[in-house]
Amino acid sequence: MSRNKHLVLASILVVIVSAILVVIFLNTNFIPTEAATQAKPIDHLLRLLLGIGGVVFALCMVFLIYSIFAFRHRQWDSAEGPPLEHYSPLEVAWTLIPLAIVLFLAIQGARVLGDISRAMPAELEVKVVAFQWDWRFEYPQYGLESEELRLPVNRPVLLRLSSLDVIHSFWVPAFRTKEDAVPGMVTTLHLTPSRLGSYKVWCAELCGTGHAQMQAPVIVVEPADFETWVKELQK
Amino acid sequence: MTFWRLGIIRGIVVGLAGSGLGMGVTMLLRIALGLTAWKAGPVTAVGTVVGILFYLAGLGAFKYWLGWVRRRAAEEPQATEPTQPHWARYLSFDINHKTIGIQYLVTSLLVIIVAGIYQLIARLETSQPGLQFLSPNTYNSLVSLHGIMMLSGVLLGIAGMMNYLVPLMIGARDMAFPRLNAISYWLTPPAVLLFLFSLPAGGFDTGWTAYPPLSLRAPLGMQLMLIAFYLVGWSSILGSINFLTTIFKMRAPGMSLFRMPIFIWATIATALLQLVFTQFVGIAFLMLLLERLTGLGFFDPDKGGNVILFQHLFWFYSHPAVYIFVLPGLGVISEVVPVFSRKPLFGYKAVAISSLGIAFGGMIVWGHHMFAAGMEEWLRVPFMFTTLLVAVPTGIKIFSWLATMWLGKIHLETPMLFVISAIVVFLIGGIPVDLYIHDTYWVVAHFHSTLFGGFVFPMMAAIHFWFPKVTGRLLDERLGKRYWTVMTVGFLVTYLPMFWLGLNGMRRRIADYDPALGLGTMNTVATIGGYLTGLAMLLFFINLVVSARRGAPAPANPWHSQTLEWQVSSPPPEENFVTIPQIVGSPYGYGIPGSRHALIPMSSQPPEEVS
Amino acid sequence: MSRATTLVINRLTIKRLGLWLFILSESFLFLALLVVRFYLQGVQRPTELNQPLGFVISGILLLSSLTAYRGESAIAYGDEKLFRRNILFTLGLGILFLVGVGIEWAEGFRFFPPASGFGTVFFTLTGFHAFHVLTGLLALLTLVLPGQKGRFTPENYWAVEGIVKYWHFVDVAWVFIFPTLYLVS
Ligand code: HEA
Ligand code: HEA
Ligand code: CUA
Ligand SMILES: [Cu+2]
Repeated sequence: MSRNKHLVLASILVVIVSAILVVIFLNTNFIPTEAATQAKPIDHLLRLLLGIGGVVFALCMVFLIYSIFAFRHRQWDSAEGPPLEHYSPLEVAWTLIPLAIVLFLAIQGARVLGDISRAMPAELEVKVVAFQWDWRFEYPQYGLESEELRLPVNRPVLLRLSSLDVIHSFWVPAFRTKEDAVPGMVTTLHLTPSRLGSYKVWCAELCGTGHAQMQAPVIVVEPADFETWVKELQK
Repeated sequence: MTFWRLGIIRGIVVGLAGSGLGMGVTMLLRIALGLTAWKAGPVTAVGTVVGILFYLAGLGAFKYWLGWVRRRAAEEPQATEPTQPHWARYLSFDINHKTIGIQYLVTSLLVIIVAGIYQLIARLETSQPGLQFLSPNTYNSLVSLHGIMMLSGVLLGIAGMMNYLVPLMIGARDMAFPRLNAISYWLTPPAVLLFLFSLPAGGFDTGWTAYPPLSLRAPLGMQLMLIAFYLVGWSSILGSINFLTTIFKMRAPGMSLFRMPIFIWATIATALLQLVFTQFVGIAFLMLLLERLTGLGFFDPDKGGNVILFQHLFWFYSHPAVYIFVLPGLGVISEVVPVFSRKPLFGYKAVAISSLGIAFGGMIVWGHHMFAAGMEEWLRVPFMFTTLLVAVPTGIKIFSWLATMWLGKIHLETPMLFVISAIVVFLIGGIPVDLYIHDTYWVVAHFHSTLFGGFVFPMMAAIHFWFPKVTGRLLDERLGKRYWTVMTVGFLVTYLPMFWLGLNGMRRRIADYDPALGLGTMNTVATIGGYLTGLAMLLFFINLVVSARRGAPAPANPWHSQTLEWQVSSPPPEENFVTIPQIVGSPYGYGIPGSRHALIPMSSQPPEEVS
Repeated sequence: MSRATTLVINRLTIKRLGLWLFILSESFLFLALLVVRFYLQGVQRPTELNQPLGFVISGILLLSSLTAYRGESAIAYGDEKLFRRNILFTLGLGILFLVGVGIEWAEGFRFFPPASGFGTVFFTLTGFHAFHVLTGLLALLTLVLPGQKGRFTPENYWAVEGIVKYWHFVDVAWVFIFPTLYLVS
């Protein structure tokens, strides 16, 4: 086979394999359901990364596996390959194209970061206090304290995280975002729960013996139900 | 007594005496100050430090310099006394770079075995939800020790490869500072010992990252680990001084920068990173140690400290460190691919420079480990950008290897097979990461893929490639290929499920998880995969030992390679080159008519000292 | 030049490069310490800090660099007596510097103990530096005996050159540490 034929064949294979991979990545649902508006951009970014990753992976794999099969040689005879030492246009291309992709991804990523850390009007403020090995939630606007994090649906929330001892991390998988609770500091996290239901907040930073079990319920309810809950506790 | 002549015996005995002395003096001092005599932290810390100094002296590490001061005719100490048996060299303060390389590699393999077994125990625990047989603290200690020992093992492994190969590849007789080189190595056995003692001393349930304040409260095992890694750190700083000096000053005549093998370029990049950045982790660990021992307030917010400071210092080293781990591995791939494709390395200059590109890029990305850590908001964007940027030079390398194989005459011997696995696995691992994924098994899968692709598989390729040169015997090909199959399959079975686990909410460093999440099955699969890799490693060791004793004798150049180390006998002579080689061309001129890398003049006369 | 002399010169450039690389590595240690100082304490400085004493010991250390330099150039010209005298001066000044740091520490313990914010920074920076001074002094000490036996010649005094370079480095490190501890605010 001539050199060009190899190239054409491999290129066709690359297109086919990338298409398959991208379709698989974009259509299977392998992450938990989203339950906050902040989850959307994050999932979008994840899929974008997986898509691009899929194409790059397909490209490299096809050429690698194709070479192994097409150019395999068994005997240690004196046969040597053609002495191709470099070809500048190709090298420039495989520097600049990834650079462009990377720039594009960085801009997308910056957008997403902006989206998820933007403050909203009329936020419900909750102080999240983490300690070995449990959580406590305070609602300063209502003068409340609670063992569980109860939130009204579709209302922006501002979490102020702090820790009494070591570093912990606030993570509700369905909300996607994550922030450490650091002793000596107050960190913030913006959230807008978008789906009713009960979830769990897990501690995502190793904090000692009870780390694996460090969790608390997170309950997203209708605003009216939230008001009754508040009234009940205030009594 | 010949036994007493063994450096290691003298080192241990004198070291133990020194450590007893140190502990005794500290206890006396404490009594004098009106404190209780025994407090584990400070007493053992002083004991360890004094013990290590005595041990080095006992080994004979300072003999030459002390002799110089007292003018006992500062003659070069004989590397080995001829009366000693061959194996004794490896247990003594020997200054030949080939001996030191082997010492490093064997130590590295031992450390990796222990670290691997720790994790296999821990994997058994995580294979099902619920606590089976380990307490959470033991589980976390095992995982943390697995992490730090593996990484130390990697550092030792690359130091071994570079020690053995660099002088041979550039046509030098030895390293620039052979005695310093031996000291760099001999700093590591006490480190290994301390790692091993760490578990009986309470372990440390902080992860290998040792974040305070948790690490300030961890048991004594923490302290042993901090000192141990500090020693490994100094070993790699001293080693890097040696590599850089050797490469810049001792290349054979005619070897211009762009005639150096890529492995040498990779060594330069690695050594630069080690030289500069190891200081940061060193100081961070030392500060932890000081805070634990003396109550200085670096990290405790109540004393005016700041816990984020530790993370900055730690990752300022530990991110570049991941490139320290992979650059030599990528260098090995660049050596093996042209030889087994019978073609020149495609885009040699770009591949050479991209090592430096990765190194420089890797210096400014540490913040990506701290996205969720309460770091200043505005810093996240530049860190994300620089992180992604490193993909560009890495891509250049990968594409160049593929182009080298394209249209080649590919020979699928074991080293080449491992290189192929390495490329595949590294690509899997390179898929980027974001906030959701932080501290989940996705990260675990990511870094095992990059570490296996960038270090473990290339190291296996390297061992299979250079084994004939080192021992003068061939490795068993059939066993090698079987090992490769089991290892690659085992890898995929272990880590592909972990990507899925991470996306589905499996956090890191947990001994137990909620059965409701439905993670049990995939975890069981991963455990089975882990044991498969363990089995593969067993095959590998069998092959190593059997072939080293009974393998077929190897010719000088079994793979028909052009680089310098293959132009001398297998194993190489004591002084590497009987005559000074003359470098006349590219190291990878396969298929170019009349191309040669080096001319080695035939002469029976031993050369003058050329260092 | 004969082959033998080129080899000696070559060996010397190798040693020099090695030393410079070591110094490069060490300067990143001090850089990290300076970062720690500003990260933890910004430009804060307690009024109890004994600035005059700080100036005095800085002067002593700078002077010791000068005597070390004179010692090195003396041996380069083969003047052994001057060399020995200057090395002893340097040793004395170095010890004086350490004594000064000791006095500072004694005062420090009273006003800003190690467990306080500035105390942590102060004791760490001066402690690490003092440790380097100590190693420098030990190294200088190893020059005394061979120096008395006339082992150094204008052709072969690498040990002197290397140790004096290290001493200058320790000095320069102090030039950065001193203002960050004593002068900023
Ligand atoms: C050898 C080890 C190694 C290597 C090489 C890498 C390489 C990379 N690492 Fe990894 N990493 C680790 C070891 C390693 N890492 C470890 C040990 C941890 C966890 C530490 C801990 O917390 O315990 C970690 C954690 C880690 C995190 C933090 C996760 C978290 O805890 O939240 C991040 C985040 O950005 C990250 C990113 C990257 C990136 C972008 C690269 C890039 O360098 C990858 C570049 C390669 C490619 C992208 C593939 C090839 C390129 C092409 C074919 C070109 C075309 C490609 C594109 C245009 C996309 N790594
Ligand atoms: C080079 C680095 C390296 C290597 C090679 C490995 C190899 C392996 N790693 Fe590890 N790993 C890390 C570096 C590495 N790891 C790091 C840095 C961490 C983070 C730690 C932290 O969180 O702080 C980590 C964490 C880590 C975790 C996460 C734990 C947690 O967060 O709870 C897991 C989980 O499965 C894991 C598994 C494995 C397995 C199964 C292997 C296997 O491939 C091991 C195979 C090797 C052997 C088994 C040894 C040799 C075998 C024999 C001598 C045969 C005989 C023995 C038997 C069959 C029993 N590793
Ligand atoms: Cu709290 Cu982990
Ligand atoms: Cu990193």
